Amino acid sequence: MSAPSAKAAPSPEVIGYRVPSLGYRILIAALRMIASFVLFVALPVAVLGYVHSRGLAIPISIAAVTTWGLVLLALTAARYILKPTVAYGPLSIAVAAVFFAYLYYLVSLSPYRFVLPGGSASIAAGYSLFLELLMIVPVVEMIAGVLTTIEDVAWPRERLPFDYPA
Amino acid sequence: MSVLLVPTHRPPPAIYRVARALRWIGVIVLVLLILFAGSVAYSAYEAAHATVESRQLTGVLVANGTIDISGSFTLSNPGIYPIGGLELAVHVANETGVHLASVVVGPDTIDGGSTGLFPISLQLPISASSAAESLLFLDQYLMVRAWANVTYAYLFPLSVSLSENRSWGAPFEGFSATAGTPTLSNGTVTTPVTLTWTNHASFVEQGSISFVVESASQANCGGGAFSMDVAPGAVFDQTQGVTMSTGCSPAGGQILVSLSVGGSTTTFPPEPIP
Repeated sequence: MSAPSAKAAPSPEVIGYRVPSLGYRILIAALRMIASFVLFVALPVAVLGYVHSRGLAIPISIAAVTTWGLVLLALTAARYILKPTVAYGPLSIAVAAVFFAYLYYLVSLSPYRFVLPGGSASIAAGYSLFLELLMIVPVVEMIAGVLTTIEDVAWPRERLPFDYPA
Repeated sequence: MSVLLVPTHRPPPAIYRVARALRWIGVIVLVLLILFAGSVAYSAYEAAHATVESRQLTGVLVANGTIDISGSFTLSNPGIYPIGGLELAVHVANETGVHLASVVVGPDTIDGGSTGLFPISLQLPISASSAAESLLFLDQYLMVRAWANVTYAYLFPLSVSLSENRSWGAPFEGFSATAGTPTLSNGTVTTPVTLTWTNHASFVEQGSISFVVESASQANCGGGAFSMDVAPGAVFDQTQGVTMSTGCSPAGGQILVSLSVGGSTTTFPPEPIP
């Protein structure tokens, strides 16, 4: 994304916007991915591995958690990198849709049923209500993505001064 | 690095503000729910160390030919969130799967950091020909199935199903009523009747036990009674001479035994006399 540079000195009535370079955005996206990886992949996988090591059935496979998590992280990173472009809105919708699908998939696995070692007790733990509340997040994100897409199509680069104030 | 100058006095467009507000809402909801989930996980970890203590269960023979097993249990909730909608159902069946008794507790709520006390009462019918009659005379394993439903931290329903076999000690294990050889003395026929059993139950048997000797034609030949005070694990073995009615022979007849506890009477199955 490029824009003509200002020739005149800024006056009190004007401000500019400063879009970070592609390399900088990639760097920040990578750093954000590390934190997100811990929260959405490493931590759940560690918990599942611990449960599995105790001889209990796990509600979702580690491979599924890893795959869904990595897809979400990749899309989130791409969205951040492409934020100054018109792809930001559609990518926001895509991230929200994948997150929603992930939550829906998890809801379909509720309740989590397992039998304690020894077989004397079986337990069913429901978590669908919590996940349904969590679905608020991708829904509002999806609406925001639609609005951003409309804005970018109707008024290109209009949001950049507010997203990247100089 | 791209730079564009735009007028400052222009506020962000409405569509931009709405989109930004929605994203903030999403972030806030996400953060709050993650914090909530974390606190629930911590609280559940604490609650996993909850103690369930059963107070001494006492069994007593009561009216209507039942054994009433009563007591209570306490459940502590050291977590920070309440355990709500606690419902517990216990079904007891004998070795052959015949349902004997049920008990239901709740629904109730145990707030975080508190302990709930739940009384229970299980009534096992033991009268003759009842489903649980064998509980009187036979040690056996009872099939105990328990279901518990709770909702933890408002959002997480939990169902627990337990199944186990519990040993049952019969209060009249090995019960027998036998008639000995009649003796003739001064024109009177006396037949010794012996009652024996072992109290394998956990409670003291107090009351009286009476018997009637019947002839083969079901005529009443005579009877007697014992007072009983049998401690758990003790053996009852007593003999009493019964004066037979004139012309009444116990041979081929039967001994009818009745148990009287607390004003109620339970009839045992008849014991045939060879």
